[in-house]
Amino acid sequence: MSHIHLPDGVLPLWLWISGFIGAILVGVILFRVRKKENLSRRLPLVGMMAAAMVLGASVEIVPIAYHVNLTVISGILLGPSLVFLATFVVNVILALFGHGGITVIGLNTLVLSLEGVLGYFLFHLFWRIFKRLTITVFLATFLALIASTLSMIGVVSLGTSHYEELIHQEKDGGLFEFKLTKEKESHQKEEMVEEEVNLKRFISILLPLGFLGWLLEGVITSLIVRYIHRLRPDLLRLGGEPT
Amino acid sequence: MIQLSYLDYSAVEGKSFLHRLSPKAKLAGMGLVLLGIITLKNLPALFSLYVVLLILFVVSRVPIKIFPLTLYPLIFAILFLFVSRFQIHFVLLIFLKVLCGSTGVVLLLATTPYPSIFSILGRFLPSLFVIALFLTYRSIFILLNVLEETQHAIYFRGGIQWRHPWRSLTNISNAFGHLILKGIDASEKMYESMVLRGFKDKIHYRGD
Repeated sequence: MSHIHLPDGVLPLWLWISGFIGAILVGVILFRVRKKENLSRRLPLVGMMAAAMVLGASVEIVPIAYHVNLTVISGILLGPSLVFLATFVVNVILALFGHGGITVIGLNTLVLSLEGVLGYFLFHLFWRIFKRLTITVFLATFLALIASTLSMIGVVSLGTSHYEELIHQEKDGGLFEFKLTKEKESHQKEEMVEEEVNLKRFISILLPLGFLGWLLEGVITSLIVRYIHRLRPDLLRLGGEPT
Repeated sequence: MIQLSYLDYSAVEGKSFLHRLSPKAKLAGMGLVLLGIITLKNLPALFSLYVVLLILFVVSRVPIKIFPLTLYPLIFAILFLFVSRFQIHFVLLIFLKVLCGSTGVVLLLATTPYPSIFSILGRFLPSLFVIALFLTYRSIFILLNVLEETQHAIYFRGGIQWRHPWRSLTNISNAFGHLILKGIDASEKMYESMVLRGFKDKIHYRGD
C-alpha cells in the first residue's frame, strides 16, 4: 500500500525529478555514514533480500489490492543503508515489470526505504522496551507502514494541480479550444476543480484498506521473524535475552 | 512472477527483428516510449502508441503467456482513480499510460537478455547499484525454485484456506521465513563462488 503504484506521466515533472534527487542525496548520506568494510560481502545478501521483496510484491491479495512488502524484515536483517540500496533495486525491477512507473522510482525508493529504515530503528527501540519478539516486530512493522503510507499520500497530494490539468484536458476540448474559452469559463472551472480532484475520497478508500494491510503485514512479519529467530537467532543481532 | 522464466527464455531464444536489434537501440526506444507517456495527454495519441507497442509485441513473437503481466498494474491504477470522479477521459488516460508503460518494459525485457540491459546501465550508474541489480535478478530465479519446493510443503500442511485464516497466515509466514533463510544460505554460497571466480567489486559482462 505504501508503494506508489502510479504510472509514468501522472505525477508532475518537478515532483518525480525531486524524488530522484532526494533518493540520490539520501543514498549518498547513508553510504557515507556506513562503515566501508564487508560491503561487497553483503551484496549477495542485499540481492537475496531484494529478490524476496520482489517475490513478496508479486503475491497479490486481490480483494484489498495489497501485497506484502517485506521491507521491515529486510531493514531488520540488512540495516538502514543496505535496505535503502535493496529498496532502490526492488523499485527498478518492479518498474521493469510495469509495477509502478520508471519515473517514480526515486519517490518509491524514498517511501519504501523510509519503511525499512524506520522499521529497523523501531524494532531495536521496542526490543529494548518490551523484550518480547512478537509484539516488538508487530509494532515496528505497523508503525513503519503507517509512516510510509502517510508519506505516500503526501507525495500523491503534492501532484493535485497536475491531476486537475489531466482531468480538464478533455473538458477543454484540446489545447486550442482551451485557449479560446479559457477566459469565459475560468470562474466556473475554479468551482468545479475543487469537486473533481478529491483527495479526501482517495484517502478514505486507501486508509481502511491500508489498515487491513498493515495488520496483515504486521502479523506476517512477526511470524516470519519468529520463524527466523527459532532457526537463526544470530541474524537478528538482538542484545539481551530473546523471547 | 512465475512468468519471469518465460521472459528470460523469450529474451534469449527469440529470433525476431526486435530480438536482433541492439540493446542500446531498444533502450533508446524505451526512452522514447517513456517520453511519449510523460508528454502525451490526449487519448488518440496514447492509444496509437499502445497499438504500436501491441503490434511490436505480436511481431516479435513474445509468448502470449507473458501478456497478462502487462495488465497487472491496472489493479493498482484503479485505486488511484478515486482522486477523480471517475471521468471517462481521466480513467482512459490513466489506463493507457499504465498499459503503454507496462507493455513497453515487458517488451524490452522479453526481447533483451538482462545482462545486456544491466551492462548498459553499468555505464552511467554506480557499479554498486548495478551489481546489486544483477544479483537481485539472479536471486529471483534461485528463490523461485525454493518457492516451488516450499509450495508443496505448504500444501501438505493445509495450504492457504480462507476458512482457516490463522493457519493460512502461519503457513504463508513460514514459507517466507523459509525462503529468506534459504536465500541467506544461498547468498553466502554465491559470494564464495563469486570470489573464487575473481570477483573484485565489479561484474564483467561479455564484451567488456
